[in-house]
Amino acid sequence: MNAVTSLPRDVALGLYRTLYLARRCEEVIVRIYPDDEMKTPMHMSMGQEAVSVGICKALAGNGDVIASYRSHATYLAHTEDHRSFFGELHGRTNGTADGKSGSMHLADIPKGMLGASGIVGAGIPVALGAAFANKQQSPGRVVAVFFGDGAVDEGAFWESLNIACAMGLPVMFVCEDNDLAVHTRVSDRRGYSSLPDVVRRYNCMVLEDESNDVEAIYRLGRYAIEQMMSQKTPAFLNIRTYRYLEHCGTAPDTDAPYRKAAEDAFWKGRDCVAMQRKRLLEGGVPESEIVKMERAIDADIEVSVAAANQAPHPGQDLLYRGVFHEAS
Amino acid sequence: MTHQSTATSLSYREALHKAMHDAMAGNPNALLFGQGINDHKGIFGTTTGLADKFGKHRLIEVPLAEEGVTGNCIGAALNGAYPINVHIRSDFVLLAMNQIINLAAKYKYMFGGLFDVPMLVRLVIGRSWGQGAQHSQSLQSLFAHIPGLTVIMPASSGSIVDSYAHAVRKHRGPVISLEHRLMYDLKFEPEHEPVVLGATPFSQRKVSHGSDVTIVSTSIMSLEARRAGEWLASRGISCDIIDLHCVSHIDADVIMKSVARTGKLLVADTSWQPYGVSAEVCRIVAMRDPGVLKAPVVCMGMAAAPCPTAKALEDIYYPNLTTLTDAIATLVRGKKDNGIELPHERSMADVYKKFKGPF
Ligand SMILES: Cc1ncc(C[n+]2csc(CCOP(=O)(O)OP(=O)(O)O)c2C)c(N)n1
Ligand SMILES: [Mg+2]
Repeated sequence: MNAVTSLPRDVALGLYRTLYLARRCEEVIVRIYPDDEMKTPMHMSMGQEAVSVGICKALAGNGDVIASYRSHATYLAHTEDHRSFFGELHGRTNGTADGKSGSMHLADIPKGMLGASGIVGAGIPVALGAAFANKQQSPGRVVAVFFGDGAVDEGAFWESLNIACAMGLPVMFVCEDNDLAVHTRVSDRRGYSSLPDVVRRYNCMVLEDESNDVEAIYRLGRYAIEQMMSQKTPAFLNIRTYRYLEHCGTAPDTDAPYRKAAEDAFWKGRDCVAMQRKRLLEGGVPESEIVKMERAIDADIEVSVAAANQAPHPGQDLLYRGVFHEAS
Repeated sequence: MTHQSTATSLSYREALHKAMHDAMAGNPNALLFGQGINDHKGIFGTTTGLADKFGKHRLIEVPLAEEGVTGNCIGAALNGAYPINVHIRSDFVLLAMNQIINLAAKYKYMFGGLFDVPMLVRLVIGRSWGQGAQHSQSLQSLFAHIPGLTVIMPASSGSIVDSYAHAVRKHRGPVISLEHRLMYDLKFEPEHEPVVLGATPFSQRKVSHGSDVTIVSTSIMSLEARRAGEWLASRGISCDIIDLHCVSHIDADVIMKSVARTGKLLVADTSWQPYGVSAEVCRIVAMRDPGVLKAPVVCMGMAAAPCPTAKALEDIYYPNLTTLTDAIATLVRGKKDNGIELPHERSMADVYKKFKGPF
């Protein structure tokens, strides 16, 4: 990692701000989950936030996003809307979907967060069409689709990769590679050694990152978007990262048999939030300024949690609303 | 022909583990495929330790590739294996429908009877605590619609032990079993094992004898029906409860005999009503002898919407002990103001409350 940022100060600070927001929201979830007010299975992003933050910021407001069920960081990075986020996790009417989504299906259509699916890999083909429509209606706008290393094992990924390459669609395939599908390692699931090498045989730009560094990922994203526009090809980004918590739930499960102590120490030694904070300090941002920003975010998140707890529960009138497409 | 199913005081989960163990021990060609079958959680504790005993060449951890793995099971069955494939949610098997419906279901018939495809697909129905639209579906009718498939919904530990042994040892075709996640922690006392109403463990089961109303139920709704029946028994209403169990092969005589006696029918299924088990049971009665009915049939199931995540909506999405008891009492008494004291929403509510995942 570069000790000092080469990005403009406001960009570097903005990246940290969003990283901190995503991390802090999940720390709050860990704290209040036992209260059982959020009755929804949680797939936590903690540890992996740099992927979503780096890429969503690289989209610079001119991109759509589709996430997997591990969507907290992606949703927060793309929308920064933690009021709706906590409302939805609490199953309340101030959520993104009146509480019908819960943690697994966060979305915000106006902001271009086109959904998150609980079925592994299911969002990937949808990204193709979103990109297809953009290509015709909003040239220059890309679609970033986030999925795990497990999703790559599905046929839907390979069908979509082929379609995107054959049609030259502006899709950025972002593989959040934490080496795990639930508890199963990549090496136990694949009959080939390097995914990027395989994808390179397609008409697709392939980029890799192993740094877990939000600035590196941000730069990679910017570069990918420029190239996609000039070369008219999709891009595939394999970004290595690490999941801090259990597959589903908020416990650290560090002692589970599938975990490796050395791996845990390695990745926690390159924690994306800590890395960016350190970089800001070394670049001369006064700690007081950082702390002030952090405290403001902390306080605002507490407002979101309180608002969620006070918001109405959805009622009978909402049960059937939206099942079919009513004529308006 | 009726007989008691295996008396066991195992929990549903323990029964599943025993069934998996016995399949491996009893048939050297049995194979078990699934995502996460050999991890420390072992499909909610139903496959734990089996790889140590039978080897990873028989308990095979698979990539996320539902269609590929299902086709692989069909091929293995053609060549003499007995494959078992488990999905921790029934929703995930939708990626394998092509292999199940276009291949497995048709292999025997389409090739003039040349092939048998003996295999078992285990699917787990999720419910409660925010499972949401894509982790809660109860897809029995999609499968039961297809000639060539046998679809079971075990509602007790004895049902699991008997039916899985029958599938592995005797049945020569593809069996789709829908297990219910909320039953995993329940213990079934031997006296609660329903009586099997037929020749094989796939036959319908009698949960309780009664004279006022026939209740035909599936899976966890058979448990709710039993609890409602017990509540109503001491309040002057007697329920004849049939656990459908094998929803693809319904013995019409069993249902007609009961409805002829009671004149009233309530169907309680775990899924949506249109085109489902409810519709099928009504079809049977309508085609056989609708004249036995003294009142319109009542059906209960999930609300006709995808499953909402919020608890407030989930609570009204599914029938519960209160709404079921009320519906039975209203049907029997013939009026909404049925005068029967209703149980508090309890019954399964304790189970729901305890259930907080994991997935
Ligand atoms: C089609 C399908 N199969 C299986 C599952 C169960 N499941 C949920 S997450 C998961 C692992 C996915 O791993 P990966 O894609 O790497 O994402 P990660 O959880 O690591 O972010 C599995 C097997 C599912 N949700 N959908
Ligand atoms: Mg993964």
